Amino acid sequence: MTNPTAGVGHPEETTLSPSEKGRRKFLVAAGWSLVGASMAGSAYATYKFLFPPVLYEPPTVFKIGHVSTYGLGVDERWKLKGRFWVVRNMRGIYNMISICRHLGCTPNWFPDQKRFRCPCHGSIYDVHGNVRGGPAPRTLWRGQITRDPLDGELIVNTVIRLDPDPVQTAQGLWVKEKVKEISPYYITHGSPPGGSCAPNRLLC
Amino acid sequence: MLQKLKSGIVESQIFKSIFRHGYPDNDLDRAYAVFTNVFLHIHPVKVRRSALRMRYTFCLGGITLFLFIILTLTGIWLMFYYTPYTGLAYRNIKDLQFVIFGGNLMRDLHRFAAHGMVLFVWLHMTRVFLTGAYKAPREFNWVVGVVLLVNTLILSWTGYLLPWDQLAYWAVTVGAKMASYTPFIGQNGPWGPQLGFLPTNDIMFMLLGGTVVGQNALIRFYVLHCVVLPLVVTVFLAVHFWRIRKDGFSGPL
Amino acid sequence: MDEKVTREIFPRDSRKSYGLVELMKKSAPIIRKEPEDTVNVWPNLLMIEFICAILVTVGLMVLIQFEHAPLRSLADPSTTPNPMRAPWYFLGLQELLVYFDPWYAGVVLPGMIILGLMLFPYLDTNPKGVGYYTYTERKFAVFNYAFGFSLWWVTIVIGTYLRGLDWQWYWPWSNHLEHMNPALVTLIPLHIIFMNWFHVSEGVGKLITDILFVGYFAVWTIIPMIVWKPMYKAMGLWRYLTFMFFFLSMMGVALKIVFRLLFNIKYVLVTPWINF
Repeated sequence: MTNPTAGVGHPEETTLSPSEKGRRKFLVAAGWSLVGASMAGSAYATYKFLFPPVLYEPPTVFKIGHVSTYGLGVDERWKLKGRFWVVRNMRGIYNMISICRHLGCTPNWFPDQKRFRCPCHGSIYDVHGNVRGGPAPRTLWRGQITRDPLDGELIVNTVIRLDPDPVQTAQGLWVKEKVKEISPYYITHGSPPGGSCAPNRLLC
Repeated sequence: MLQKLKSGIVESQIFKSIFRHGYPDNDLDRAYAVFTNVFLHIHPVKVRRSALRMRYTFCLGGITLFLFIILTLTGIWLMFYYTPYTGLAYRNIKDLQFVIFGGNLMRDLHRFAAHGMVLFVWLHMTRVFLTGAYKAPREFNWVVGVVLLVNTLILSWTGYLLPWDQLAYWAVTVGAKMASYTPFIGQNGPWGPQLGFLPTNDIMFMLLGGTVVGQNALIRFYVLHCVVLPLVVTVFLAVHFWRIRKDGFSGPL
Repeated sequence: MDEKVTREIFPRDSRKSYGLVELMKKSAPIIRKEPEDTVNVWPNLLMIEFICAILVTVGLMVLIQFEHAPLRSLADPSTTPNPMRAPWYFLGLQELLVYFDPWYAGVVLPGMIILGLMLFPYLDTNPKGVGYYTYTERKFAVFNYAFGFSLWWVTIVIGTYLRGLDWQWYWPWSNHLEHMNPALVTLIPLHIIFMNWFHVSEGVGKLITDILFVGYFAVWTIIPMIVWKPMYKAMGLWRYLTFMFFFLSMMGVALKIVFRLLFNIKYVLVTPWINF
């Protein structure tokens, strides 16, 4: 039986000259390249389109008053408005962004347990922001805190954040306090009158 | 009199231009009814008697499709009163719930049909798995089915944001933050920061149209939920059904 | 007629604009099957579908008499509801996020589940069991599916009934309205446990976990190759390796969950870039 598929191809193709064949091959390649290039171009344009160059988002800079208005420990008065806690210890004052480092929920402060705890996946932080339990992969952010040169009030900027690499320990994820108590994320100030860090040793 | 009216309608040019067969009470018209109708045409004209057995498919795929249709219809009704604006969305839902006639019914149906669709997609998949209906030559249709499953879940997720309540906000915050952990292209993912991805240029920013869940995120999810994803699902459903007709039924057909 | 014979007499040829699709014994819409014992779709099948649709509608209508679509308070970025529970079909994912870092539990693992499901038809080389319910003819495939989805359902049950305030573990008989103290034992990476057991340095501890991690995949890939040679031969090298990667990852996820719940292990593998 003869092979019925011998000489398959469009009839005119068999009679083409080599140069004509080459020309067609080139045109096909060029055509498909153009299709590919325009697809890539539109993909890039779509990608660019999805990134708005201007944002209308809630404010991130807050003027939070004098150091003297804050007592020892965690102060929650800015949590509702600015999503950060102000923490004063025996040496000074800092703030921590109340965004869980796991998946962005807002943790709650439990004064009796001396822990921040996240209701979404159970991350647990201490008053330094170190991870004491749960799935959080990093320690809590500290926001920029500066003193207004005119009236001496504190200014917190929550988008400028301190985020040093933590160390794995048997007690959790840890960053040394010395590393975090640096300008402009910390303001050195004397301890509040009559304040005692005995209830929470981490404030000492 | 009625007979005359009926034959006047049925034999008119208009009626005949729409329906090209008589009432399907005989085999020929029944065959015509199925294969001249674009919707019924997803069926063959005839099936084996054994294919009518419920204990093979349990109608699970059909129920899923029916739930999708319910979701489309109730979703359209809800769109009449819903504004994708953070200042209004929640109040619109409250209006639907307490003021608008039938609003609560539409919302309840939409929500529970969505739960049902997820459940029935999974049940349908389990049925297909247990009867080996994904094996050659039907492998690709199984892949299409997995795409539909994923789309169902994304539809549910995008729909969660629209009421702009606490569940909405946090489900989407957590979900979007997960995207930021994508390796290489997320600000928090492995090798993401090393490749220069920041809160303002990574995949989470692209998803939300901002650094936090806000107005841009709401409108994006609204468009995805009401237009883009239903269209994608419809296209893949068409492929899904087409493939069943082409490859035949795995069971007692 | 046999497809091979048809192809020989009527070969496919791109020069022809016509061809023979199929030769049949009788006129029937069903290919390669006898036309006897068929019934019309209208009304037989359509009636069943119509009844199904009615039952679903009635079921939904009855359901919404007892339960309404929930609506919580207005979105508020400063306060997260406690506990924050995802809808039931995402609870498995939410629970996995407790045991693994988000890049894995939230992105890579769901991606692997989707990819694994898609690849399943291409990895399952067993030709038996098409078109009927059977367990005995394809035990391993059914086991895989059942194991994967019982993992999904178990995590959903944990998330629904055993998680309470602060996403902590609450037994059904504990007071779900009272905040419990966090566990006294914190989560520990495995290499630190080895450091304390064997009194070795951090580098050696990490080396042990590295060896255990790689060894788990290597040993369990090689053993079935030797023990179940016919299965390996039937699958071929690449299909086998792909399957084993997904299979061992699934088993690994279950193992890690057990390790976490029983021994409070945070990570079984710590590297400078990623942790498991």
